[in-house]
Amino acid sequence: MQLPGQLTHRSYGCVLTGSVARVRRTEPGEMPEAEAIRLAQQGDAAAFERLYRLHSRRVYSLCLRMVSNVAEAEDLTQEAFLQLFRKIATFRGESAFSTWLHRLAVNVVLMKLRKKSGNEMSLEQVTEPDEEAGGPRRDFGAPDLTLAGSIDRVNLQRAVEQLPPGYKTVFVLHDVQGYEHNEIAEIMGCSIGNSKSQLHKARVRLRELLHEAVRAKAREERKAAGTASGSSGED
Amino acid sequence: MSTMECNEFMEQLGPWMEGERHGSARAHVQSCPECRSFVTDLEAIQAAAPTLSIADPEPPARVWAVLRNQLVDEGVIREQSGIDWQRDRPRFAGLFTRVPRPALAGAYLTLLVLLGFGLTAPVMQQTQPAPTFALAAELDHAEQTTVSSFDSSKSPVSADLHENLEIVDHYIALCEKSVREEPGNDVAREYLYQAYQQKADLLSMITERGDSNQ
Repeated sequence: MQLPGQLTHRSYGCVLTGSVARVRRTEPGEMPEAEAIRLAQQGDAAAFERLYRLHSRRVYSLCLRMVSNVAEAEDLTQEAFLQLFRKIATFRGESAFSTWLHRLAVNVVLMKLRKKSGNEMSLEQVTEPDEEAGGPRRDFGAPDLTLAGSIDRVNLQRAVEQLPPGYKTVFVLHDVQGYEHNEIAEIMGCSIGNSKSQLHKARVRLRELLHEAVRAKAREERKAAGTASGSSGED
Repeated sequence: MSTMECNEFMEQLGPWMEGERHGSARAHVQSCPECRSFVTDLEAIQAAAPTLSIADPEPPARVWAVLRNQLVDEGVIREQSGIDWQRDRPRFAGLFTRVPRPALAGAYLTLLVLLGFGLTAPVMQQTQPAPTFALAAELDHAEQTTVSSFDSSKSPVSADLHENLEIVDHYIALCEKSVREEPGNDVAREYLYQAYQQKADLLSMITERGDSNQ
């Protein structure tokens, strides 16, 4: 039976359950998250710091990935925790603490992006309009090129940075941080189906971006090889 | 079993990636190299994604420092000690949010390293407060240098900064007194360390403010 505030974590290579699975491991002698929440609700300074230490890395990573700017990510992390701690007395454990925190963080980030763009953006609007109506585009007629072996952290990160905010948020929460669609729906205030749809479109867009990167690299290599052979011909 | 066309499979690709793999879709993937390649790519992206979080950094220490000050100022965090630290601690957290993020200058880093060393020094040294308090001399020297250069910039926040320097100096004096009275009190030492750190932060901001106004 799944208790309120205790959600199953889809991990990679090991089975973890509970919201703590998403945060730094609690070492023996360290204050457990539930106790830290209880004490923080009473204003205990050490408990606030404990909660911050448990979750700050994930929240900061999410912010950093969303805005790709260290100073802005620091400000957004600070703002998300500030909002969380101001409201902590109202936390009753209906959802996992990390889900609640991530909902605040995502809202803070999207608000920032809205201000930057100078207009209101719904989740749908922060995706790419040309992909809203139909299914994924497919490069029919393109050479049968697979990405196998050509994806590394650097080029994947570059591609993620180019995603529209809505796709990026769902991709980072699901595929990078390991949240389930029901949790993402709660975090983003959308339906589970919407979360699945956004994730699929994000992956398809990433595939396109990664293929573009592979083609660009191949062109550069051909050009470099051509230059080198031209130079050697002159010798 | 009837096989589907590529465009039909593409419409099923989302559910396929969520694990809904019906017979006709399976048959299509097995028979169509292009769709199989598409699926392989998406699976490769999905498999590579968790590696992005491996080297995720921790936020810098200043994020918590500023956050904590803000929470104390708002009364969300209640400090617990024999001394009313919340009442006595410098209340310039608001200033941290008004002035630009400090660019950590070499001098500032040196101060923090010295402060860190002072805090982690062996307990034996606690009975000899002089080495710890010698750090105050370093801070005073840094203050003389940075404040004099800042005054020449005539920044509109100059008065605020001076006022806050006075507050933090008063707080440091209180903390030093407590450490002198109770050299073995770790809480008092921690507060003294934090007071020094806050002064270093403030001087760093002054330095940056001065630089940006030049």
